[in-house]
Amino acid sequence: MIKIEKRNDVSPSIYFFTPILAIFLTLFGGGIIFYVLGFNPVEALKFFFITPISDLYGFSELLVKATPLCLIAIGLSFCFKSNNWNIGAEGQLIFGGIVGGGVALLFYGHDGFYVLPIIILSGAIGGMIFAMIPAVLKTYLNTNEILVSLMLVYVAKLLLDYLVVGPWSNPEGFNFPETRQFSESARMPILFNGLRIHAGIFITLITVFLSWLILYKTYLGFQIKVSGLSLKTAKYAGYKGKTMIIIVFMISGACAGLAGVGEITGPIGQLHRNISPDYGFTAIIVAFLGRLNPIGIIFASLIVALTYLGAETAQIFLQVPKYTGQVFQGMILFFLLGSDYLLFFKIKFLGLKKNEL
Amino acid sequence: MNTKLRVSEISKIYPGCVANDEISLEFGSGKIYALLGENGAGKSTLVKILSGVVRPDKGEVFLNDKSIKLNSPLDAKKNNIGMVFQHFNLFETLSVFENLSIDSDKKNEDLRLSVNNILKKYNFKIDLDIPVLNLSAGQKQKVEIIRCLIRNPKVLIMDEPTSVLTEQETEDLFVSLKQFSDDGILIIYITHKLKEVLSLCDEVAVMRKGKVVSVSKTKEEKIETLANKMVGENLSTIKKKINNFKYSEEILKISNLNFRSDDPYETNLINLNFSLKKGECLGIAGISGNGQSELFQILSGEIITDYTSIKFRDKEISKLNPRERREYLMAFSPEDRISQAAVPELKIYENVALNNFKSSNFFEKGLVNEKKIKEHSKKILSNFSVNTDNVEMKSQFLSGGNLQKLIIGRELITSPELLVCFNPTWGLDVGAINYIHETLININEQGKSSILISTDNDELLKLSDRICVIYKGKLSKIMYVNEVTPEKLGILMGGGSID
Repeated sequence: MIKIEKRNDVSPSIYFFTPILAIFLTLFGGGIIFYVLGFNPVEALKFFFITPISDLYGFSELLVKATPLCLIAIGLSFCFKSNNWNIGAEGQLIFGGIVGGGVALLFYGHDGFYVLPIIILSGAIGGMIFAMIPAVLKTYLNTNEILVSLMLVYVAKLLLDYLVVGPWSNPEGFNFPETRQFSESARMPILFNGLRIHAGIFITLITVFLSWLILYKTYLGFQIKVSGLSLKTAKYAGYKGKTMIIIVFMISGACAGLAGVGEITGPIGQLHRNISPDYGFTAIIVAFLGRLNPIGIIFASLIVALTYLGAETAQIFLQVPKYTGQVFQGMILFFLLGSDYLLFFKIKFLGLKKNEL
Repeated sequence: MNTKLRVSEISKIYPGCVANDEISLEFGSGKIYALLGENGAGKSTLVKILSGVVRPDKGEVFLNDKSIKLNSPLDAKKNNIGMVFQHFNLFETLSVFENLSIDSDKKNEDLRLSVNNILKKYNFKIDLDIPVLNLSAGQKQKVEIIRCLIRNPKVLIMDEPTSVLTEQETEDLFVSLKQFSDDGILIIYITHKLKEVLSLCDEVAVMRKGKVVSVSKTKEEKIETLANKMVGENLSTIKKKINNFKYSEEILKISNLNFRSDDPYETNLINLNFSLKKGECLGIAGISGNGQSELFQILSGEIITDYTSIKFRDKEISKLNPRERREYLMAFSPEDRISQAAVPELKIYENVALNNFKSSNFFEKGLVNEKKIKEHSKKILSNFSVNTDNVEMKSQFLSGGNLQKLIIGRELITSPELLVCFNPTWGLDVGAINYIHETLININEQGKSSILISTDNDELLKLSDRICVIYKGKLSKIMYVNEVTPEKLGILMGGGSID
C-alpha cells in the first residue's frame, strides 16, 4: 500500500535547491533522449548547452533572449504570488508591441531623444491595458482569468496579423507581412558594436530591483503576499481585494508590454507576424523555476534562454528540429513540479510489515 | 450476548509526541464507558487505533479474548466495531437512504426493511427519502448511528458526539445510548465535557499526555475531581461580577440588519436589532450554521450589506471595511484561527502586521517598518504570555492555544472599545481556555465591550452579561445572564420559544 502524506516543515534551503536539481534531471533526461535518437549524449548536450555560449556573440545572444523572459517572469510573479493566474503574458507582450510599434511608425522619420521613451512607455501602457481586461472581468463579472487571458493571446496575435498584412504594411515592402523598419531614433541603443545586446537589459534590471522593493519592502507587497496565502485573511485584514487583483495584472501586463516593445525596438526593428517565440508562455516556466523570487528569476531566465539558443545550435549541428528547445523547457517544468511534489509530500510504502501478521 | 474488549499495552509515537503510552484498558458490555481527556491527551489516537484508521506501534487489541488485527477501517467493520466520528461523513445532496446504501452490501429492499426496524425500535423519526442537507445536526448524527447499527455492532464508539447538538438533542442521544447499552452493545464515549460523563457513563477512564491516569466508577467522582485529574493541577475558578449597565453609555447599535445571500450554504439574517453598552459582554448562542458566521463578518466589515445600519459610538460605520473599522477602535477575532485570523506560513511578526491601524505606523509611506512591527510583536508575546519570544518563527509552529493568545493579543493591544470574537476557545486545552476567559473578563472590567458569538453554552453563561440566541438567522429576545438557564438556551437553540 502506498500512502501520501504532507510534510510539515520544508527548509528554505532545500526549497531553493530543488530547481537546481530539476535542471540536472533535465540534463540527464535530455541525454537519454539524444542517446535514443542515436547521438552521443555528452556531445549532443555540449552542442546544446556549451557551444552556444562559448563565444562573446553567443553570450550576448543569451542575454538578448533572457532580457524579455526575465522581464515577463518578474511581472508574472506579482500575479502568481497573489493567486491570480495570468496565462496571457504572450498576448500582453504582443499588444504592447502593437501599441509601441504603432507609435514608432507614427514617429517614422522623426529624430529626437524623446522618441524612444515615448515608444517604450506606450508599449508598457498597451500591455497594461490588455492585462486589465481579464482583471476587470474577473473582479466584476467573476470570469475565470486563466481562460480570458489565454484567449486574449489569440486576439492579440490575429490583430497583429491583420495590421502587418493590412493597414500598417510597408508601402515599399512588396506585400510582405511586415511594417517599415523603424527609424534609428526609435531603436534601442546597442551596447557593443557587432553584438545584438541592447539597452533593454537595463530596463529589465531596473524592473527586477523595483519588483524586489515592492514585493519585500512595501505595504502593497505585504498585501500581495497575504492575499496569495489566504484570501480569507486578506478580507479579514481589510485589504481591497478587487483593487489588488487589478494592480497585479497591471504590473504584470506592463512588464510583458515592455518586453514586447523591447523586442521590436531592439533586435527586430519592425513589426511582423512573429515578434515573439512564445516568450510570454515560456516566462511562466521561468517564474516558477525562479521560485517567484526576483533573484531566482534572473538565473532561471538565463537557463531557459539557453534552451532557445541550444535548440538553434542543435538544429544546425545535429539536424534535430529546433522544437527540441521546447522539449527541454517541458522537461524542466516536469522535473520541477515532480521534485516540488516530493518536497511537500512524502510517499510512504506501507509494506506487509510486522503488525500485518 | 456478552462482549469484552481489551486493549493491551498500546503505544503510538508520532514525531515529537507520544500519543499513546502503554495504554491498557478493559471494557465489558452492558456499561457505558467514558474516555475523558483534554485535546491532545491521546483519546482520538486510541479511538483511531480501535477503528483501524491508525496502526499502533506496539500493543494488541482483544475482542472476547481473541487478539484481532485492525489494519484498516474495513477490519474494524468486520469485527463489528462501529464508530461515529465528530465530523459527519455524509453526502449532503444524496437522500438519507442513498447515504446508507453506499457502504452496505445488502439489497435495497432488505436494507430498507432493516433500517425501518431500527427506526421503530429506537423511536427515531427520520424521513429516509429527503436529502441529508435538510436534516438537523442531531438527525445527521442519527443517520451515522443507523449506519453503524445496520451492521449489528458489538462495540459502538462515539467521538465527542454532543459538540454539534442542542441540549434537547443531547438528551435524546443519551436516551438512545442507554437503550443500545441495554441491548448489549458496548459503548465507549469520548468527551472532554465533565457533566456528560457524570450523567451518562458508568465508568470513566481519564487520559492525560498519552497515558491513562485513572479508571474509576463515575458514582465515586465529582466534576472537580475529574477536572483535576484531567488537567493534572488545581484550576482556579474565575467568576464574573454581575452588572446590569442600566446607566452605562450605549456603544453599539444595530438596527434592522438584514442580509440576503445567493449562496445556498450561507444563512440569511432577518431583521436583527440589538445594542451594546460600555463594558458589557453580549453573548450570542446558537448551534453552528444558524447565521453566526454571517453576523460576525457583517460586524467585522468583511460583508457589507446595503440595508445594514451599524452605529458605533454614534458614527455610522456600515460601509466601512475591517481596516477602517479598526480605526474606530473595533477589534475582531474570527472563528477560524488557521486560515483566517492568521496565516500559518507567515512569521509571527507578519501575522501581527495584519492588524494594521492608523497609529501603529507599521507601514510608513507605503514601506514596511519591520523594526516597529517586531517591537510591537514582542510586546504582544510577553503581555499575553505566548510561550515564545521569537517573532521570526512561523506561526504554524505555535500550538492552538498560543496562536489564539497571539491573535487575541494582537487585537487587544490596541485597547479597542469593542472586541467581537467568534468561538475564541474552540479546540483549545483547559489551560488556554482559562487564560482566554480571564482576558475576556478583564477587558469588560476595564470598561471595554465585547460581543461573544459562541457555540459553547458554558462559556457564554460564564462570560456574558446578557445572552441571546441566534436561530435560522433570527435573534431571540435578549436576556440577562441571571435569568438564563442551560435549558432555556437549549429550547431557543432548537427553534422553540420560552414564556
